[in-house]
Amino acid sequence: MMDSEKIFLLFLIVFVSISLLIVAGIVTSLIINSYPIFLRDGFSFIFKSVWNPVKEDYGILPALLGTLISSAIAISIAMPLAISLAIFSAEIAPTSVRGFINSVSDLMASLPSVIYGLWGLYVLAPILNQYIMTPLHQYLGFIPLFSTKPIPTNLFTAGVLLAIMITPFSSSIIREAYNAIPHHLKEAAYSLGMTRWEVIRTLLGYIKSAILAGAFLALGRAMGETVAVAMVVGNTFTLPRSLFDMGYTISSLIANQFPNAEAYSYMMPALYSGALVLFTIGLIINLAGLYWIRRVVTRG
Amino acid sequence: MSWAIEVQNLNVWYGDKHIIKNVSFRVPKNVIFAIMGPSGCGKSTLLRAMNRLLDLNPHARVEGQVKINGINIYGDNVDVTWVRRQFGMVFQIPNPFPHLSIYENVALGPKLNGLVKDKSQLDELVKQALQKAYLWDEVKNDLRKPASMLSGGQQQRLCIARALALKPRIILMDEPTANLDPVASSKIEELLLELKEDYTIIIVTHNPQQAARVSDYVAFLYMGELIEIGETSTVFTRPSNILTEKYVLGRMG
Ligand SMILES: Nc1ncnc2c1ncn2[C@@H]1O[C@H](COP(=O)(O)OP(=O)(O)OP(=O)(O)O)[C@@H](O)[C@H]1O
Ligand SMILES: [Mg+2]
Repeated sequence: MMDSEKIFLLFLIVFVSISLLIVAGIVTSLIINSYPIFLRDGFSFIFKSVWNPVKEDYGILPALLGTLISSAIAISIAMPLAISLAIFSAEIAPTSVRGFINSVSDLMASLPSVIYGLWGLYVLAPILNQYIMTPLHQYLGFIPLFSTKPIPTNLFTAGVLLAIMITPFSSSIIREAYNAIPHHLKEAAYSLGMTRWEVIRTLLGYIKSAILAGAFLALGRAMGETVAVAMVVGNTFTLPRSLFDMGYTISSLIANQFPNAEAYSYMMPALYSGALVLFTIGLIINLAGLYWIRRVVTRG
Repeated sequence: MSWAIEVQNLNVWYGDKHIIKNVSFRVPKNVIFAIMGPSGCGKSTLLRAMNRLLDLNPHARVEGQVKINGINIYGDNVDVTWVRRQFGMVFQIPNPFPHLSIYENVALGPKLNGLVKDKSQLDELVKQALQKAYLWDEVKNDLRKPASMLSGGQQQRLCIARALALKPRIILMDEPTANLDPVASSKIEELLLELKEDYTIIIVTHNPQQAARVSDYVAFLYMGELIEIGETSTVFTRPSNILTEKYVLGRMG
């Protein structure tokens, strides 16, 4: 082997080891630092709804539900948008605007989340409140989902903002997959006398693994997103009774509470265990996403 | 005589490249009509002009007429999906939808264009199509399995079944055996001879022996021009053009 190759290999090994060590270190410190509260309360603190530093009593259920609810809203709004955007760019838009759409979409995927947070707080939240949430509550308030009288910052606003943030990301996964569909399959579809929409439907079936991958990876992002959510979710520690309740997510809880945490003995472990829960959920979801990505790549 | 298809003064350009040059021919019903010629001479382009699949290529431009039942498929107010359903098409690469089951691959076309009224009719149509494609016995217990599990030759017969299920008048085949081994190829060739009872078959091949084996009529295409056309036995025994002679004797690439 040539010397330069050896050096290159050495570098690779060093850097790969460093990254693996960092991941291992993070997981270890999550476990060690959350250990005290597990020791004291067992797993019950995951399913309790209480945040009382004076009594050193903690339970993260509202934040966990907040994370699940806001990302569920996000993903159910984002996926139809992402698929439509991908189809529009790959199949409908004239070639001349295609590149423009893709650049804008890629740019949106890379904006710092604090920008989304600001825009969400000052532009999106009031608009949603006035034109969507208030009417929904007024006319469909008997449905439990809409039963709370809305104020601009709440779980629903957080979900919609997350949807906007993850749409470009999952859309680009879907778009790449759509563009990679072999031409001969398109010809097969059209040769059967399908209309353009029927062709699109058939081909979407062909890339359903990629769509699932896009959904899971985007869901992972939505659950982990912190700053933007913290700015619009309301940051109120109560069990959500409707989509229009103010709430917390695990990540916004951590971001908001850690400045005080040093003052108490069990708040830090409680926050760490929240992080551990989030990490575990995120890991599962991202693994699911990677599984479907592999299905895309390995299919002949 | 009524013709299955009439091509009149057909010209095709890709951008400003003139690919098909003023080609005219007519194909009688229930025959196998072969279009042969060296690689790149425009066979696939000509075939795709016949069912307007060329419309998919934004750089392609077509002039001239293609008539089925007296209707010019390039005329105004002609529904292109209707045009394509008059043809079944089989491609050089076997291209079943790999994510759909064997059954769904065949059922898709008739389901979309409302050829059948209910599930039992659809089942029957799928079965008939698979039987006609000589595939039924091999797959009848695996209809729900994905098409991707079939061998190349089986996939190609599945594509033929998929085309037949549309109940087309004409079957267009673009080098259907080019990617198959000799055994699978000869199965397809036998199948063609059966199918011409019910359909008109237009098959593109770059293999003159194949044209000689299966076709009743043959056209020789060379650099986008129709050099010679006639009954297969005549063209192969007494070609009237020196280029054709060279080609059928295998002295041309
Ligand atoms: N999409 C396209 N855009 C531009 N030129 C094309 C396109 N497809 C084919 N051509 C050109 O048109 C000519 C005819 O191509 P065509 O595929 O019809 O030939 P063919 O006879 O089918 O060849 P083969 O036997 O190799 O399949 C070739 O010179 C090819 O390079
Ligand atoms: Mg070809």
